[in-house]
Amino acid sequence: MIQQLVFMVGGTKLKFNVVTIIMTWVVMAVCLLFAWAATKEAAEVPRSWQTLAEALYSAFKGIVREALGEVYGERYLPLILALFIFLCLCNWIGVIPFLHEPTKDLNTPLCLGILGFFIAHGTAIKVKGLGRYIKGYFEPMWFIMPLNLVGELAKVVSISFRLFGNIVGGSIIIIIVNHLVYSLFFPPFLNLFFGLFVGTVQAFVFTMLTLVYISVQIR
Amino acid sequence: MAVEIGGTEIVRAAALLGAGFAMGVGSIGPALAEGFIGVKAVEAIGKNPGEAGLLTRTMLVGQAVSESTGIYSLVVALQLIFVA
Repeated sequence: MIQQLVFMVGGTKLKFNVVTIIMTWVVMAVCLLFAWAATKEAAEVPRSWQTLAEALYSAFKGIVREALGEVYGERYLPLILALFIFLCLCNWIGVIPFLHEPTKDLNTPLCLGILGFFIAHGTAIKVKGLGRYIKGYFEPMWFIMPLNLVGELAKVVSISFRLFGNIVGGSIIIIIVNHLVYSLFFPPFLNLFFGLFVGTVQAFVFTMLTLVYISVQIR
Repeated sequence: MAVEIGGTEIVRAAALLGAGFAMGVGSIGPALAEGFIGVKAVEAIGKNPGEAGLLTRTMLVGQAVSESTGIYSLVVALQLIFVA
C-alpha cells in the first residue's frame, strides 16, 4: 500500500515512506501558498483570501481563549490554528486523483500526537512547577499512579489512531465500493463525504483534543 | 477434485472470521454511544437554541471520543486481514 525507500546505513535499515513525504511537502506548499495569498494584499478592508484567513482566526480565537484563558490562549493560538489548517489540507488532498493523504500513514498522526503530548506536559511543568506536576500523578491516592501514567500515554495512542483509522477506513471503503460498482456511480459522493466532511470533522476533533489535553494540564 | 485444507488455510479463515467479528461486535458500542450523545445534544439545542454552535462543537468532540473503540476494532480487523 505504501512505497518505501530502504537505505542501509551501518547495518541498520532506514525506511522512508516516499509517498507520505512527498504528499506532506505538497500540503506544506499549499499551506505556505495560502498564507502568502492571505497576507499579500493585507488591507483594512479584507479581500478574497484574507477574508477566509480572518474568519478562521476569529473563529478559533474564541475557542482557544475559552479553553486556555487570556494569556495562554494568545500564546497557543498559532499552534492550534496551524495544526487545524495542516490537518484539514492533509485530509482534503485525497479528493484529488493520484494524491494520497499523508494522514493515511500512521507516522503522521502519531508524530503530531506525540508533539501535542510533549507540548501539554512541558506547559504543565512550566506552569505548575515540577513538584506539583509530579504530585498530580499521585492525586486521589498514591497507588493510582500507574493508572494515571498509562492514561496519559493512552491519550497519544487514542488521538493518533482515531485520525489514522478514520482516514484509512474511508479510503478503503472508497476502494471497495469503486471495485463493486466498476467506478460508475457512487465514488464522487463517497470521496466528498469521506474526504471533505469526515476529513474536516476529524481535523477539528484532533485539534480540539490537543487543546483539551493542554488545558487539562494547565488547570 | 480434492481440496487440501492445511494449517495456513485454517489460520487465514480464522483471521477473516475474527476480523468480521471484531468489526461487528466492536461497532455496537460506538453506534449506541454516538446516538445517545446526538439525542442529548438535540434535546439541549431544543431547550437552548442560542448555544447551538457550542453544543454542536461539544457534541462532535464527544462523539469522536466515543468512536475511538470502534476505530480500535477497525485497526484490529485491518491487521487481521492484511497482516495475519
